Parts: sequence; C-alpha cells; structure tokens
Amino acid sequence: MLLGLFKSLWRIGLLVFIALVVFVVLRLLPADPVGMMLPPGATEADRAELNRTLGLDRPMLVQFTIWLGKALHGDLGTSIASGLPVTERILHALPTTLQLVALGLLGGAILGVGAGLLAFRFRKTPIESGVQVANSLAISIPEFLWAILLILGVGIGLQWLPFLGPIDGAYSVQRITGFLLLDTLLVGDWAAFASVCAHLALPVLALSLGVAPPLMRIAHASLVDTYAEDYVAAARLRGLGENRILMRHALKNAALPTVAMLGLQAGSLIGGTLLIETIFGFPGIGSLMVQSLGVHDLFMIQGLALTYAVTVQIMNTLADAALYALNPRLRLQ
Amino acid sequence: MTSQTLITPDPALDSAMRPRGIPSTLGRVLREPRVWLGLIGILTLIVTAAFAPWLAPHGPNDQDLLHTLLPPMWAEGGTSDYPLGTDSLGQCILSRLIYSAQVVALVGLLAPLGAALVGVPMAILSGYIGGRVDWLIMRAVDIWMSFPAVVLALVLMVALSPGLTNVILAIIVVDWTRFCRVLRSEVMVLRRRNYIAAAQLTGATHLQVILRDIAPGLMPQLLTLLSIEMGVSIIAEAILSFVGVSMEPSIPTWGMMIADGLKSVFSAPWGLIAPVICMTVTVLACTLLGDGLRQTLDPRLLERVRG
Repeated sequence: MLLGLFKSLWRIGLLVFIALVVFVVLRLLPADPVGMMLPPGATEADRAELNRTLGLDRPMLVQFTIWLGKALHGDLGTSIASGLPVTERILHALPTTLQLVALGLLGGAILGVGAGLLAFRFRKTPIESGVQVANSLAISIPEFLWAILLILGVGIGLQWLPFLGPIDGAYSVQRITGFLLLDTLLVGDWAAFASVCAHLALPVLALSLGVAPPLMRIAHASLVDTYAEDYVAAARLRGLGENRILMRHALKNAALPTVAMLGLQAGSLIGGTLLIETIFGFPGIGSLMVQSLGVHDLFMIQGLALTYAVTVQIMNTLADAALYALNPRLRLQ
Repeated sequence: MTSQTLITPDPALDSAMRPRGIPSTLGRVLREPRVWLGLIGILTLIVTAAFAPWLAPHGPNDQDLLHTLLPPMWAEGGTSDYPLGTDSLGQCILSRLIYSAQVVALVGLLAPLGAALVGVPMAILSGYIGGRVDWLIMRAVDIWMSFPAVVLALVLMVALSPGLTNVILAIIVVDWTRFCRVLRSEVMVLRRRNYIAAAQLTGATHLQVILRDIAPGLMPQLLTLLSIEMGVSIIAEAILSFVGVSMEPSIPTWGMMIADGLKSVFSAPWGLIAPVICMTVTVLACTLLGDGLRQTLDPRLLERVRG
C-alpha cells in the first residue's frame, strides 16, 4: 500500500516537471501571440500594457509559479484566440476524447487478447502463423494510417459507415454529460444513439487496431510461458478439458503482462486520439490542440499539453492499480 | 566502480557467447527474404528521392488550373500527361509523390541516426555506470514517456518553426528514449558477462571495455532498432505534415498530400489513395527489415532456435 502511495506521489512531481518543460518550450515560440491580440495601429505603449495585464513582463520562473498555482485551482488562463477561459473549453471538449480513449482501449484489448487467444488455442496450426504474420504487419501501421485506410475502404469504397463528425447533422442532442453516447441514452433518443454508434465505429476501430498488435504479441507469449508452469500440467493430469484450463487457470496469470502492456500503451493511445479526432472531425481536445497550434494560442496549448500529461498519468496509475489487484504477490511485498 | 564478486572467466562458455564471425553472420542475414524485401523497398525510396527531378513528369508545384482533379490515366477522362491525375490545384499527383520521397528519405535516414547518437551513449552511461547516473537518466526517460509522443512533437514543432532540420530535430528529441531504454537493459546484461570481467582484470580501461567489448554486443539490437525507428520517424513526419507544422507549404510530403487528398476525396480519390499506398509500403519495408534483422542477428533468439 505504501509503495503504491509513493508511486502516486512521484507522479505528481513528474507532472510539475512536465508543466515546467511545456512552459519553457512554449516561451521560445517564434510567433508573437500578443501581436495577434492587439488591434491594428496599436502603439508600443498598448503592447507593454497588454504584456503587463497578461503577466508576460515578469521573469519566467515567476510566471510559471503563478500559472501553476492558478492551474491547481483549475484556472488555466484565457484563450488568446477565443477569449474564453481555457479550462472551460478543455472541459467542454474532454468527454469526446475520453469516450474515444475508453472505447479504443476496450476495442484494442478485445481484439488483441482475442487474437492472442485464437493463435494460442490453435497453436502449431496455420491459424497461429496466420495471426502472427498479420500481427507483425499490423504492428507497423499506426492509428493515423488505419484511420485513412478505413475511410478509404469502409467509408468511401463500401459506403457502409459515416466518417465525418461525431453524429449526423440532423440530430441535435442536449448536452448533459458531454459524452454523446450517454447523453443520447439519457434523453432516450434511439435514432441519435444509433447515429453516434455508427459515427464512432471507424474512429474506435482505427484506435483499437493501433493498440491491438503489441497486446496480441504479449498475450500470446505469456500464455506460452504460463503453460510451461507445473499447475497447468497438474490441471491436465486431473483431467480438465483444454478450454477449461485456458479460461480458468492460464488466462488470469497470463493477464498480468498484458495489463502492464496496456498501461504502457496509454500514452500512444491518447496521442492517437489527437489525430483520430482531426481526421474524423471530432470536437475533442485533439482538434482543439490542432486549432490552437495553428493560431499559436499559447495558453490553450499549455493547458492542453498539461491535460494530455495528466490523462496519461491517470491511465498509468489505473494500470498500476489493476496490476496490484490482479497479482496477490505484489500486495505481499 | 564497486568491486564485484570475483568471477572466474570460463573461456569455453565465453567463446560460445561472443558474437560469431562476421562472414557467417552476413550470410545468414542475406539469406533472409524479409531483409531483402525491406532493403529493396528502402533502396527504391532512396533512388526515387535522388533522381526525383528526372523521374517526375512535372515540377512539384506546377499548377495546371485548366485540369484540376483529373482522374488517373486509366480512368475515363484521364490523360497520359498526368499518370495518376491531378489534385484540386491541378498539380500532378505522381510528381508530388516522387518529390515527397526526398523529405521522407532524408527524415527516414537522418532522424534514426540522430536518435541513436543521443540514445546509445545515454544507454551505455546508464547501463555501464549504474547508480545515480542510471537513476537520473531513467527518470528523464520516464518524463519523456509520460507525454504522448505526438503531443510532444507538435509542441516542439510549434516552438521550432517548420523546416526539414527542425522536423528531424523534433523527432530525435522525442524518440531517443527508445534507443536508451532498450539498449540500457542490453548493456546491463552484457556487463555481467565473463568476458567483460576478464577484460577488466587484464587492465582494460572503461573506455576500452565499452568500445571493444560492449559496443559490438549492442550491434544486433542497434541495427534492428534503427530500421524500426526509420519507419517510426517516417510516420512521425507524415503526422506532422498532416497537421501542417512540418515543412514549408512549397515542399510536398506524403502527409501533406494525405491532408489535401482527404479534402477532395469524393471528387479525386487517387489524391488520397496514392500517398497512403506509398506510406504503407515504405513503413512495411522498414518493419520487414527490422523483423528480418532481429530474427537473424539476435543471439538469444538463435540460441532458442538451436536449443
């Protein structure tokens, strides 16, 4: 327990350091965000005045401390481009992204572990080598390319699924939680719910395909390792069927490295949503980031970068907790 | 360095563990079809990039506003002037594909080398010296890993401003950790080998041990990592140019073409299909080369195969 607590504390220190890195890197911006905020024909005095109100005239470390202190209270400043509070805009966009992350993780786990199980259950047959070859090809294709390939194949070629926006334009859903899947259900609008599901299918599949291959590899390898253990031989000697051994004895033990891998992939998955949102036109924090990068919206970029880092840290902590719950040996130490 | 428990070198065992002769290794690598496929793919890319001005029928930015969104030559309405058709500005898709290979090849060759130049010394420092140095370097790696690579690269690119050098720089800054993490554990394994202890006992300096005994042992992993990183950096560049922060608009890249193609996908799907195929094939070539090298060079995999 103490160990777990210590690990979480260390993550907080990490976040502060990350915040500092982002802060310093963005101060090196070649663009002039203040210049963009000023009306045409503004004088040097106006500029100095604006610099002072934004606090940009103070030393960098002082600026950072003020920013961090405010950030801890949930105030990330005001967006230069839109004039709205950064926190508000991020919170407005976050549900869309979290929904993608959760579904992508779920889909990736099902796909990866499913393929690993399939290959293992039919080991030493063409099915195993088939899955392995497909996997080693798929491992090099990132979410970004999957998204485009799916749009080309399923969206445009077969015209089965939509690939623009989070929901059909004909529906308007009242915002309750911000999670479209939940909101449509809460309102009880089934047609809109179906539309949301259809619009989510390709982005989630693209994310899942990005996550699945390493999971498959590790699920398969750890099943092979688990089957070398004595307790599997003992179960077989007791006359248990092959499926029962796999499901009851081997799977739980083989799950540990797979869950650890899932935690490691959190970063790349969350990064993946940035592109998926841009490609499929989802109004999540990724789209927000790309927009803000385009107009050099300093405070927005800072807030978003921090949001990404916090999300990755939370996912890693959750993965640690899951490992802890799954493995009694970790609790004994 | 703290004195370790005394290890008696066992010459028979050590000679079995040391890297085998170069000719037999090279032969084994060259007999692997995946290595060949990968090398052919990468060489094609390099040749296309080098001879782009002679291969491309048009300049990369030549606009023919009378012939926008032409279909490829085999479709109805296509002409042999524009073999793969034109985009929304009437630019020749084939020519832009060919010129894009220049950026792709430069990024794919230089970024992995740069990342290795940073990552390998870090890995050796971390794994060979250990202790506080190791702790410090591994915490730096932790910080890097807690950022989605895409976000880090985007933020860097905005701070650096577009351009080839900056793209390569951003990829190196993001990806050196891959070399550091993987090779560090390899160094830690090698450091405990008997022949390292033997070399240290004969009075070799740390530098000599690192250069003569550790570095050759890292080569198999390093070559594999380099070819994997090649694919990764090509994708990274495509992502950056897809978002529009990679190169100046006048220099075509596949990522930029994918972004443009997506906008006019219904009227001219080839503007999207062609760069996607090029990307996929190039990245697969890098993966195949990496896989092939790993299978033929990794001594542990070989031992497992031989039993």
